Amino acid sequence: MSSHRLDTCALCPRLCRPACPVASGSAREAAVPAVIAGVLFDWQRGLGDAALAAKAATLCVDCGACQAHCHLDRPLPAALRVARVELIPAPPYEALRPIEGRGRIVAIEADERPFAKALSRRLAEPIRRWPTADRLGVAAIDYPVFENRLSELRATLADCEVVVADGAVAEVLKRAGVPFRWLHEVVPELAAPTGSCRTAGSKPAACCGAAGPLAAHHPEDAVRVGKHWLARTEERRVNDARCRNHLVAIDRTVRDALDLLLEST
Amino acid sequence: MIDLVPEGVRWSEDLLDRNAVARDLWPGGTLRFWKGEHAPAPRIVVWPSTDAQVHAVLRRAEALKVPVIPYGMGSGVCGGARGREDAVTVDVKALDSIGPLDTERWTVDCGAGVNGQHLEDWLDARGFTLGHSPSSIWCSSVGGWAAARSAGQFSSKYGVFEDMVLQLRAVSPTRGPFIVGEGGDAPDAWMDSLLGSEGTLAVITSLRLRVWPKPQARALRGWSFPSVEAAVEAMRGLMQNELWPAVIRLYDPVDTRIGGKTKPEKDPGDRSFLKELLHAVDGLPEVRKRLLSLPLRLPGLINEVFDRMAAGCMLIVGFEGDPAVVAASERAGNRILTAAGGEDLGVAPGERWFRSRHHVSYKLMPIFERGGFADTMEVACAWSQLVPLYHAVRDALSPTVVVMAHMSHCYPEGASIYFSFAGRGDVDVYDATWKQALDAVLAIGGTATHHHGVGSLKAHAASVEVGAAVAGWRELKHLLDPKGVMNPGRLYVDVEGIVPPPVAFKPEPSDNLAHAHALANLAERRDAGAPREPLWDWESFPMPPRWQRLPWQTGVIEVSGTVDGHAVRLGRAPRSAAGPDLRGWLSARDPQAICTFATAELGARWLGEATCDRPWEVARELLRGDLRPAVLNVVRGRLRVGFRGAAAASFGAVASTRVPGGLAEIPWDAGSLPSGRLVPCEPGDERCAMTTPQGYFRREHP
Repeated sequence: MSSHRLDTCALCPRLCRPACPVASGSAREAAVPAVIAGVLFDWQRGLGDAALAAKAATLCVDCGACQAHCHLDRPLPAALRVARVELIPAPPYEALRPIEGRGRIVAIEADERPFAKALSRRLAEPIRRWPTADRLGVAAIDYPVFENRLSELRATLADCEVVVADGAVAEVLKRAGVPFRWLHEVVPELAAPTGSCRTAGSKPAACCGAAGPLAAHHPEDAVRVGKHWLARTEERRVNDARCRNHLVAIDRTVRDALDLLLEST
Repeated sequence: MIDLVPEGVRWSEDLLDRNAVARDLWPGGTLRFWKGEHAPAPRIVVWPSTDAQVHAVLRRAEALKVPVIPYGMGSGVCGGARGREDAVTVDVKALDSIGPLDTERWTVDCGAGVNGQHLEDWLDARGFTLGHSPSSIWCSSVGGWAAARSAGQFSSKYGVFEDMVLQLRAVSPTRGPFIVGEGGDAPDAWMDSLLGSEGTLAVITSLRLRVWPKPQARALRGWSFPSVEAAVEAMRGLMQNELWPAVIRLYDPVDTRIGGKTKPEKDPGDRSFLKELLHAVDGLPEVRKRLLSLPLRLPGLINEVFDRMAAGCMLIVGFEGDPAVVAASERAGNRILTAAGGEDLGVAPGERWFRSRHHVSYKLMPIFERGGFADTMEVACAWSQLVPLYHAVRDALSPTVVVMAHMSHCYPEGASIYFSFAGRGDVDVYDATWKQALDAVLAIGGTATHHHGVGSLKAHAASVEVGAAVAGWRELKHLLDPKGVMNPGRLYVDVEGIVPPPVAFKPEPSDNLAHAHALANLAERRDAGAPREPLWDWESFPMPPRWQRLPWQTGVIEVSGTVDGHAVRLGRAPRSAAGPDLRGWLSARDPQAICTFATAELGARWLGEATCDRPWEVARELLRGDLRPAVLNVVRGRLRVGFRGAAAASFGAVASTRVPGGLAEIPWDAGSLPSGRLVPCEPGDERCAMTTPQGYFRREHP
């Protein structure tokens, strides 16, 4: 934390409030990024306890909206990532599974739906399937130990054409520097009209609560953020399977590009 | 804790949540936080999502004698929502519904917990605007705007926040949920008392607000004036000529020069040597923390240096709305500004202000970080007192803090002054500064708060200002919250000793104000206002309630009377946010009360008449087309539209193009406006007596 100054954010009159999807959706004052910064600032200067700081630092979907909104461009999202690493032990992640089948394209399956099979039917060519139960270990993405995972991914996917449907998987690949395409880019007619937070659109505040540490550490707030997101839009189509899997628990009519692919094939 | 929280209500006793609502944006609290002192956290935070849940919480709190602190987004700067260790904080952010938007009537319903910017974005996506743009719009809630009587940067066109409220829903411990305003089930007079009550009477849960289509045109310009005095005269000219600019902001010489109002925008990467040096010093944490503490020990010297460096002041004037109306207004406005000695600086300063209009709050943190504190104070008074008040407060503040000011929120009868000051980061200096400043304001007869409300910071000053009329608030408090659990210790406090009598206010001719007995009829008020005419010719007092008037149609500006033998003066021209508006209560209670009302000079005037089908519908469309006639009525089936001031003929010409068959000019006759409570009616109703963009009204008692 020493490299991250939090005083400006802690003193700020909470100007990033309207940009933050967690603050807006959860209705918790504690979720306003500047308030979180205040808790971490106290911890940093020895006035607050670590448990409280950990709780505050995880009230976040790591969307970057607070910094994007900030006229001073304060790097609070980065400071929160560093704080989480310092405050919370690295979560375990499973070993990478083998890639199954053959073909030029690898479809990474992050949930129980047969993504590779459906894509193969749609493109009329063989597709390799790569299942992952923990979205390639995204929960540990900010921890130093994850560097090994990133190297492993780069080696495994070298020369592969990768297609993803899940935002968490995309986040890991992006961090690893592995090129990939979204399902809705490969099959454009599946794209949701307004996109979703991590796949399209310029306003990251559109996050539905599925991303970042929020859902794991504050599941009730993640649901509130999802409900708030759904209440503010008539759109029930998203591109990102992570959003879909989060939102469908609140509203069964939410569908993503993969649902449409499965229905069409 | 379970006793306090009714079943089904979301709650938390997590320290994270309790600490989060302990502090609002009162800079005195921020200074204490910076020094490691935490505000008291409440016992519990609850998030009711319905009026019934709010009521259930309030009843429990009342039964258990637990103080209740309503909390929106904690953007108040006077400590009104700060925590108490024994309290329950009722966070209204779960009351966050927006809509429906009535595109025919131009109204929107929204929950008290809706963020201001979210509401504006929602309206913008549907082609509308609220017209309320406080610099806190990103961090404040709609309920907070109502509770503390907010005012936005475009108030001279759209009105202050209470001008936008058509209906208000609230919940009190004793009464439970109730509605005031349109379709209300509670007395009309409660509206004026709830707005500005800062959580001391009830929890505001939702509102119905007046909205406007997004402006099709906007014209902002900067003007340079040699002195504050000259610029104030120009501002008064704009308002008293009934041009209703959306924006009038005068920066004093120090703010103009030191605040950088005249500098061109720079590339963020373009740094001067001094900035480079400061940037380098900023990298040394221990130096950085004390960077301002030394210079801020010498505020008198710095103020003097700044005064010597400064020369001339910058005025931003902006019009927005219908293009033809904007063009006519700007032409007339430019003539007034030029005649007053203004130099036209073109559109760049205005557009620059517009782009950065919500950025001012970013300037506060660096001062705290470097060992100082920063705060603001917004006061108001009539035009003739404005410059003396400006100097008096500056003189009072200069020995302890570095001070600059701007003047905004203009009315035909006066304006507000917004002081920004920075001092050494010492709590004693902070507290002493405020005492000196508030004493100076009260001594000259201005109001201690124009739109920031009262909270704890100004509770003593507001209590002195309101004086014995606090009985009006207490009467309603007794009905709504007899056990006194609602936000105790805020808003009004018992002032020790004898409350000094209010400073007598004698308007100067330039204020365009006149006095008349509360029971005076129209003829008597016209006599009292002579040689001017009443700005709004209400048939009698009281006027229709605020939500049935147009935002710019003022009624009584001040009321002076006696309560239990004590002289009181309420309102403080042009507007005070020292708690609820108790002017109606005082004029009803004291049959000898004297009302101060606005008048208009008998200068340029233009009245046109037309015979047309459905004249009231045509009249309403004129209002919806951004025209603001001084006269708008139907006389013997003929529509009459009249304007006063420098653009009267131009506005008349614009109106004429919008009336089928056009308007024929006739001799001036101000006519009259209906008084008392009005009843909605159809436009074809022969009893129809008034229209607003929202509909048509007739008298309740013809």
